[in-house]
Formats: sequence, C-alpha cells, structure tokens
Amino acid sequence: MDPQIQEKMQKIFRGELKYKSANLAFNMLITKSRKKVAEDPGSMEGCMKELEEFLAKYPIVAKVDLANIAML
Amino acid sequence: MLVELKEAVRLINEGRTLHIAADDMLLKQLPKGKWVGGTTPYFIGDEGGIFSRDLLFVNEIDYADEISVSVYGKYNVFQLVEECYDNGLAILIMPYGSNVAAKYAREAPEVEELLMHPTFGWISGYDLDAGGEAKVYDGTTGTSYTDRAVVMYLRLPEGKTAMINMINIFEDDKTDPVIRFHENDLSVKKCTVNGQEVDFAEYIRKKGIDTRMPLVADYNGSYFNISVKSIEDDRVSFYAPVFKNVDYRFAVRVDDYAAEFEKRIAEAGARNPVMSCNCILNYRYGELNGRKIPPYTGPVTFGEVAYQLLNQTLVYCEILG
Repeated sequence: MDPQIQEKMQKIFRGELKYKSANLAFNMLITKSRKKVAEDPGSMEGCMKELEEFLAKYPIVAKVDLANIAML
Repeated sequence: MLVELKEAVRLINEGRTLHIAADDMLLKQLPKGKWVGGTTPYFIGDEGGIFSRDLLFVNEIDYADEISVSVYGKYNVFQLVEECYDNGLAILIMPYGSNVAAKYAREAPEVEELLMHPTFGWISGYDLDAGGEAKVYDGTTGTSYTDRAVVMYLRLPEGKTAMINMINIFEDDKTDPVIRFHENDLSVKKCTVNGQEVDFAEYIRKKGIDTRMPLVADYNGSYFNISVKSIEDDRVSFYAPVFKNVDYRFAVRVDDYAAEFEKRIAEAGARNPVMSCNCILNYRYGELNGRKIPPYTGPVTFGEVAYQLLNQTLVYCEILG
C-alpha cells in the first residue's frame, strides 16, 4: 500500500480523519477497526493487515476508495 | 420478477439457478432443482408492493460460474466464511424466530473474515394477519426447514465482484441523547442514556417515543437500525440484537416512507441491482402496498442481511466489473 494512503488510513482508524465510503463493507471495516484501535492502540498493525487483505480482495471497488482517500 | 407457479416450475425444470420467495403453499409444490427459497407472502414487484399467496418472487441467477447449496444450524452457521467461493457471493436465508437466526444476529459482527465474503440475505416470515411458520427451502433436495439456515454460494467470473449495499431511510439527530446497552441482546431491561442508568421501557414511555422509529447506530456514516418488537412489563424486545459499546439514538421521524425511499434511491445511484429485499416494517408502516420503488424489487422480509442482520432496511446486491 502507498505509504501516504497507509498514513491516512491509520489516521482514519484513530478517528483523526473522516472518510465515508460508498461501499458498506468498507464502512463496516472502518468502524470495526476504529473500535479495536480505540480499545487497544496496539491492534493497529492487525487492522492495517486486514485492510490490505480487504483492498486486495476487492480491487474494482478499492480503486475508487483509494483515489478518494489519497485526496483527503 | 413475480411469476405464477407453473412459470416457476418451468424455470426450475429448465435447470435455471433461482432465488425464490413465496408463501409456503407454493414453495412446497416446487420440484427439486437449483434453487433456494424462503417464505413470505409480501413482495415489492415491478408494479409496487403486493401481498399475494398466488405469486412467487423469482430472481434468476445467470451471472455465476458455479453454485453450491448448504444447510446450517446454529452451531455451524459461521462455516459460511470458510465455504464461500474465493470470489463469490453468499445468499443466506434464515427463518424468523429460529435459533440459527438469533445466533447469526448476535455473533456475525464479531466474526473474523465475514466482511471478506459478500453476504446478502433475509429472514423468512409469514402472513402477519393469518399467522404461520417461517421456513427456508433447499431446492436441491426439496427439503424445508424451520430451524436451519440455507445458503446458496455463487462463484463469480474473474473480474466480477459482488457489492452489497443498503438503503436506510432513517438517521439520527446528533443532539438526541446517546443510548448504550450493557450486553449484546435481543431483549433488555436497563440501558444508559447519556451515561445515566435507566429502565429502558420506562424511559420510552416517559418520553412518549414512537417505537415505529428504530434505534439507529452510526457505522461510519452508514446507519444500522434496530427495530423495537415489543414492550412487555419492564422489558424491551428487538427484532435484531443491540450491541454493547455502540452508541444508539432513536431515529428521526419519517412521515412519507415512499417519498423518502425515492430520495435515498436517487442518492444511492445503484444501476442494476441483481437482488434486493425490503423490511416488512417499512412495508407496513410506510404503506408500500401498491407503491413502486424502482429499481428495487424482491421479497418483503422479517429481517435483512448485509453481512450482519439489519432491520427496517432495504438491502441490495450489485455485480460490478
């Protein structure tokens, strides 16, 4: 994952940056990761790994989200 | 599309892959074949909402390379995350009031990998005025169940992706008090309102809250509803579980459901949903009988599944790519 996007996603998971996707599953993943990171900041690495797997699984949908996140 | 029994039989006998919703009297007459189904006599058809015990709602699935069907109980329903095709879609149907539906509702949000597997589904029901028994059907064996989940797995061609989404006409007012619950549960007595412990039934009564409006939780801008089923004695029961550590508020009142749907449908911008289902509470409270909400047609259901169980929501699936 592009380091810039990685940094922005970490900010989204920490609640420092807001992003709403048109993809319901992505919004659910963000909510779940935010909750995990808020409860245990050490879980960030696992959340980022899950995110990478998610984005790799849905390249058609991820393309739009990644472009939008890059512009945040 | 809504069809008569003989047309549904013809499609099955031609070997088509089908997702079917209908009254039990019709489903039990269908021959074995590549289909799964669930009971409901309520539908949203091309001509609008309709109650019928003579018509079946049929989605033909002509976009899958391969299909398989499995039946699960409450102890193994989450095998679906292992049995899904790598690039696929799962169509999950569970009977209303069954243990498997309760288990799925409570635990799905915590299941690892669930979001990696597009899962569209619904809770089967019955005629609310006449009563009855909710069932699901595995058409490959011709067997019906009242306490099992049936899943049709679809393998999609390379380059295609299933995207599950929803249309929810409800949202919260962020200035309203935040309601939190202590456990993941389908029925509660206590909760906290803005951090203060209260008796939830008493709180609803005192505030004069219209419980036709669901509780809503904000999942990163996507609102998830929990509908109130009943308030008996001092307990409040729901159609889907509330979860601990989630902030809920009662939804802002919606007066014209169909108009609100039209607005949200335009915002959603889905071009070609291959499948959808809409909640019985939207149908009833929103008086959708006879009212169209194109392009979304499908069964009217006792719960909707977009990965996890939802209430008072329209859920749809698109195939992208």
